[in-house]
Amino acid sequence: MKMERSEIISVTKKFLSEEFEVDIETIEDDGNLRDTLDLDSLDYVDLVVLIEENLGFKPTAEDFKTVATFNDFYNLVEQKLMNV
Amino acid sequence: MIIMLVEKENIKKYIPQREPFIMIDSLLKADEKGFLSSFKVENDNIFIQNNILSEAAIVENIAQTCAAGFGYLSSLEVDSEPRLGFIGAITKLEVFNEVATNALIETQVQIVNTFENIHLIEGVARNATQDLIKCQMKIVLG
Repeated sequence: MKMERSEIISVTKKFLSEEFEVDIETIEDDGNLRDTLDLDSLDYVDLVVLIEENLGFKPTAEDFKTVATFNDFYNLVEQKLMNV
Repeated sequence: MIIMLVEKENIKKYIPQREPFIMIDSLLKADEKGFLSSFKVENDNIFIQNNILSEAAIVENIAQTCAAGFGYLSSLEVDSEPRLGFIGAITKLEVFNEVATNALIETQVQIVNTFENIHLIEGVARNATQDLIKCQMKIVLG
């Protein structure tokens, strides 16, 4: 799957805001992903399902160690999609 | 003919629950994709009221199907200790029909996804062709 960064951002914002019921405007590039979405450890399995469905790869726990902000997340997606 | 993986007499080896809270009789199928169990609703079930089994008991039946399934799979691994599972969350719960005493419930669990030790499952309990309850659960294996 090939996606431009702008497309990754718009797709990600859409599915995250819908699933975790946050206003799309609160998802800012340098915002903290976990805090913004109010994620607990159980939510990560939902996040994995959403990423697989919308972005076409399955992240690992190791992948999430590199993710603090949404920008980090977009970087991870770009990197993963290059290898798909 | 249905081949049972675990019969009623042995189900306690795979689940932590004990009478009168056992809401599963037999494990019919278990693999990495999911599980199938059967359960006959007896007259003396503690969750029977006015001849109807409560929804809570059917949700418990889905959870115990997971416990039996994961327990059975871990028993196949060499040198493995039985792993206790906990319900982390129940979501997307839908109640369709009630079930009376003497009914046979078949419960199918599909493992939707796994992240670390957390399994997202989708369970549906059926009586003949009728869906009774459907839900998702997050099962955390200890």
